[in-house]
Amino acid sequence: MKKPRKPLAVPAKKTLNPFEVHINKQKMTVLGRKTKNDRGLPGVSRAKALKKRKDTLLQEYKLQHKSNRFTDKRIGERNLNMTDEDKVVARYTAIRKKAHKKSIFNLADDEVLTHKGQTLAEIEKFDDPRSDDEDSLEEGKSGNLDANFVEDAHFGGGILRNTGKEGAKTHRELIDELIAESKKRKAEKQKVKEATLELTEKLDTEWKDLLPLVSKTQKKEEEKMTVDDYDKVMRELKFEARGTVSDRLKTEDEIAREENQKLEELEQERQERMKGFEETEKKNTHRSADDLDDDLVYESDPEYMLSYNTEGEANLEIDAQINGKNVGESHDDDEEEPENEEEAEGAGAEEDDTASEEDDDLSDLKDDTSEESDVEETQETQPQTIEPDGDSLKKQEMMEKARQELPYTFNLPDSYESLQSLLENQTPSHQGVIIERMIKCNHPSLAEKNKQGLKVLFAYLLQHLNDCAEDSMEKCYTTFSVLAPHLFDLTQLDKENAYHSIKEVIKEKHEEFRKSKKKYPGLEILIFLKLVSLLFPTSDFRHQVVTPCFVFIEQMLYKCRIKSRKDIAYGLFLVTLVLEYTTLSKRYLPAAINYLGGILHMAVPKIGVKLIKVNPPFQPTTNSLVLFNDCTSEDSSLKMRLSDLAEEKIDDLFKIRALNTTLKLIEEFDNNFSALPSNLEIFKDILAYMELLPTRNYPQKVCTQFERTSQQLKSRRSDKNLDYVVMPAKRPKALRLYEPKIEEVFDGKRRKVQSKEKAERDKLLHKLKKETKGALREIRRDKSFLGRVKIQRRMQSDNERREKVKRIYSEAAMQQSELNSLERKNKRKK
Amino acid sequence: MSHQEKPVKISKQLRLKAQEFLSSRKNTENLLDIVRHFESGADLSSCLLTLELIFTNLLKDRSMYIEVVPLKPVEKTEINQYKEWLRNVYEGCFARISECLESDSHKIQIQGLSTAMNILSHEGKCPLEAKGSLESYVPLNRLKLVLMKLLSNKHNNSQLINKYTEYLLYNDILFFTWKLLPSLTAKTNPNELYIVNYLLLLEKLQLKQHPEPQFLCGSNNGEFFTFDEAATTRALNKIWHCVMLWEHTPQTHKQLLIVLLERVLPHLEKPLLLTDFLMDSLDIGGPVSLLALQGIFTMIQVHNLNYPNIFAKLYSMFEPEIFHTKYKARLFYLSDLFLSSTHLPENLVAAFAKRLARLALIAPSEDVVIICMFIGNLILRHPGLKCLLNHPTGGSASTDPYIMEERDPLKSNAINSSLWEIQTLQQHVLPNVATAARFINSPLPSVEWDLSRVLDDTGDDIFDKELKKHSKLIALAFDKPNGGALSKNEKVLQYWNI
Repeated sequence: MKKPRKPLAVPAKKTLNPFEVHINKQKMTVLGRKTKNDRGLPGVSRAKALKKRKDTLLQEYKLQHKSNRFTDKRIGERNLNMTDEDKVVARYTAIRKKAHKKSIFNLADDEVLTHKGQTLAEIEKFDDPRSDDEDSLEEGKSGNLDANFVEDAHFGGGILRNTGKEGAKTHRELIDELIAESKKRKAEKQKVKEATLELTEKLDTEWKDLLPLVSKTQKKEEEKMTVDDYDKVMRELKFEARGTVSDRLKTEDEIAREENQKLEELEQERQERMKGFEETEKKNTHRSADDLDDDLVYESDPEYMLSYNTEGEANLEIDAQINGKNVGESHDDDEEEPENEEEAEGAGAEEDDTASEEDDDLSDLKDDTSEESDVEETQETQPQTIEPDGDSLKKQEMMEKARQELPYTFNLPDSYESLQSLLENQTPSHQGVIIERMIKCNHPSLAEKNKQGLKVLFAYLLQHLNDCAEDSMEKCYTTFSVLAPHLFDLTQLDKENAYHSIKEVIKEKHEEFRKSKKKYPGLEILIFLKLVSLLFPTSDFRHQVVTPCFVFIEQMLYKCRIKSRKDIAYGLFLVTLVLEYTTLSKRYLPAAINYLGGILHMAVPKIGVKLIKVNPPFQPTTNSLVLFNDCTSEDSSLKMRLSDLAEEKIDDLFKIRALNTTLKLIEEFDNNFSALPSNLEIFKDILAYMELLPTRNYPQKVCTQFERTSQQLKSRRSDKNLDYVVMPAKRPKALRLYEPKIEEVFDGKRRKVQSKEKAERDKLLHKLKKETKGALREIRRDKSFLGRVKIQRRMQSDNERREKVKRIYSEAAMQQSELNSLERKNKRKK
Repeated sequence: MSHQEKPVKISKQLRLKAQEFLSSRKNTENLLDIVRHFESGADLSSCLLTLELIFTNLLKDRSMYIEVVPLKPVEKTEINQYKEWLRNVYEGCFARISECLESDSHKIQIQGLSTAMNILSHEGKCPLEAKGSLESYVPLNRLKLVLMKLLSNKHNNSQLINKYTEYLLYNDILFFTWKLLPSLTAKTNPNELYIVNYLLLLEKLQLKQHPEPQFLCGSNNGEFFTFDEAATTRALNKIWHCVMLWEHTPQTHKQLLIVLLERVLPHLEKPLLLTDFLMDSLDIGGPVSLLALQGIFTMIQVHNLNYPNIFAKLYSMFEPEIFHTKYKARLFYLSDLFLSSTHLPENLVAAFAKRLARLALIAPSEDVVIICMFIGNLILRHPGLKCLLNHPTGGSASTDPYIMEERDPLKSNAINSSLWEIQTLQQHVLPNVATAARFINSPLPSVEWDLSRVLDDTGDDIFDKELKKHSKLIALAFDKPNGGALSKNEKVLQYWNI
């Protein structure tokens, strides 16, 4: 069977002339390697190239200096992307378009295509439940003429036969009959169709009436069928509710511990963020030479030194025992409940211990920062610390009252005006309760849209604070302190939103500030800056909200003119905020220190001709904070007041307050910066001013504060020890380790070890070199091809010329010969 | 309503009268009416427009042109008499128009200037008398009148001079302004307003002609006119001698230096004569000395001036106030240039580095970044300064050996110090400053930092940049606030009684 086919296939494949094949020699043969270019057909490929050049280069050469050009404008002829079919379609549509050019006289322009009297659009709705299939099926039977008739009547067959048999019917009769027959059939079909339609409709309605009955009866039957005790019991057993595994309820201790752990984690994260860049360096952990790069991390169990106790037991064994016991106990837990309780209690006690330890850790941190404040409090602010307590009690009472007075549910405001109307005429504590309830009622876990609503609420609250600040600062601050916890909650719920809203607020305020940089902007900014310190961690190295706030504060402290009481108070508030922002991170803001120095300078009386230098924005000649009157007996609170932010005139009490606050702030800043190498230089100016400052007129409290601060600053000078700056010694470069390189699957090739980018680049460079070479070769060949063409032309024209010359010569020779012969004849005649 | 309509009506009336006058010579009464109205001082701007219309048309028609035949008295024909009269009116009116330049209202001033220049241009194109071969010329007496008003000693004419710069785009006006200026320059001490105006004008004048010549008087081919740049230079030198002799207030001194640096210095014949002036300016302090410094730098660079104490002067300029002046960027730029030489004593450069570092402790953050880069560049240029970053022996000191108060940088003992300030600045609150100060922790780069990139940064730029920094992680505080106070480390309530 196979043999006859072979000769068919062979003639298609040309037999190669072995002399035409060129074999590329290989230096080394590797078994099993397939090479593409081991043999080539130089003749064939040369011919191919020649043909290609003739089609392209030669054509171009011929048209080189011609201005006329033959362009092929057939659609898609030059577009390589189109297939033949596409081209045909495109051309056809173009023709159709051309034929179909819109004419203003053509009224029936938008013709509607129909099928059986219905528009196509109608048909496409598939309204008719009766499918077309039926029709088409039936059509085969009834719509058309049946086969016999066709056989009889069509294609002349009928005539031939008819003449033989009957002869009575003429052709015309036949046609008539044909028409009648077909009409009749159609009518019948229509009738049948209508009838069925009617019947179906009828059936449908009846069935709908019957439907409820039928289903009921069926169910009843089933039930009757299934009532069986065995089945019942079996089902019951089968579907009995099984207890699901759930986490056991946590004890309070556990909850506390978890909370603590979470807090500790957060604190750790905060510390890392605070360090900023330093953290990156520490990641460089030791790697052993034997590291296999498999990211294997050993359990960092504590290393025990092997030692023996008095009884001769190795401590490792003891440890193992303890561990074993622990395991045993946990087994016990499952079995014996009372013990479990005990255990839990034990664990709880332990946790308590750890918790208190952690607390200690945090308080350590606190201690570090507020050592001096502790001292202060013990010394003087004892009565003051009680005050706010009473205050808070009162507040709590108010809150309680408010709770009872107000309704329990609030809807989220849909516009700022509605919130405004809700909060208007309410005391701050009432407002707090309203917002609290609003947030509770519309917690995002309750409904999907609440999240959006709370977002808006956050923005509205910020706006509310902003508006409050315009009225009066005291009221605004109380509102703020009531709202702050709720704003905090909202921030925790949706930090994205909080970030964006606060960012926008700060941005807007900064825009306003930019317009007049010499003036302190509105008081609401202070509130917002305070809010930032509540909502965001201000100790971060870089924070999207806090860092711009720092820039803003710095600009205000450097740019704004200090003229009146409110300016001084504003600046001091900002400096206090800076202190609050930086207590944890202990970072340095020159503007704040500069400002404190400036305030001190204002308190120094300038009597002599000699100018006491001060840095801008302070003027070297201002005397506005100098205390001229004797106020030693003055005994009022030394804290700054909010009203200072609004008033213009500077009175003696304010001078005392401002100076005291400045001194205290200086002390705290100095404590913060004690670790900085140039803390002396930072406070140099301040110390100079303090030496010039007379303390005669100030009350006793201020004087002691003054003494303490100056003492502290001076002591820094005496116990200063500066380490020279030394660059970290360069680490000796480690020798490169040559470890065995193991390839999982060796595919016979060796690859260079290099980075991905480098490999890619090398590859591309190699490709480029190859392509350049190829292109150069092609150009050379093109040139030689053209040269050949030129020389051919030249030779051709030379040949023609030679032929022509030859012809002319021969003609001339003939002429000459004729002439000669004529002459000879004439001679003869003579 | 009527109040608003009135000026419209008057300007319409005036225009109507002018048209009537121009259409027939008999309506001379109209011209006199207009002139009278003008002199009364009401509706100045519409009067100016009307007069401009009349005289430009008269000049175009050559109605005031009297043929003068040499050695022959002018015929006393009726026409000539009329023309004579017209010319008298014209002279009078031009004087009046130039007086408008001294008006109190800027609008009238500017209108007057444009009218005067417009008439002047037409007179240049169609001169009143035959000017020999010249097709057109610049009526110098009129231009002089205008310039005199510009350089008034009563008003500050900054707006007017700005308007005049539009005319300085024409080569001929520019040239003849230069020509006329020496004669208008006050020889003795003028008042301050005059100096201000004068310097303003001088700042606008350029010495070279415009590459695409345009002419106010005459066609744009410029065949009749050559711009003699040597002459303008000569005029400039002449002027400058007088200007230097004037007594200057601090403001005009500053402006004088600006003009000197931007316009004059490259064209002076003997710039070294300015040395004393610049030295004196250098001692004044503030922006003036900064400008003088720049002048001296050019002198050193171009004219081989030898000024030994320049570095001490530069050193003394680095004071805390400098950060709050507008010239801060210029100072940094200049000192970068001055200290670009690698042949300066290390002692000196170290003093600069230390002083800058000290200043950085109180500077606004945008300047701290500049200073950090600047110090880095200094150390890169002078590898000997590496001891500031890497003390050869290590160890510790009780105080900083550098003496900030010493005025002589060579005696400040800076080379024995260390850059602790930069170390301190690594604790700056702003992350970009802290990172900029970190350059001392790692080996220095081989290429200098590009100062020009940060030189013009302001606090606003830093603010914008920080706001744009977007990271997905938004860190939140985790301690619930206790009312309006932080649960720990609350400071505001500690200091404020709320």
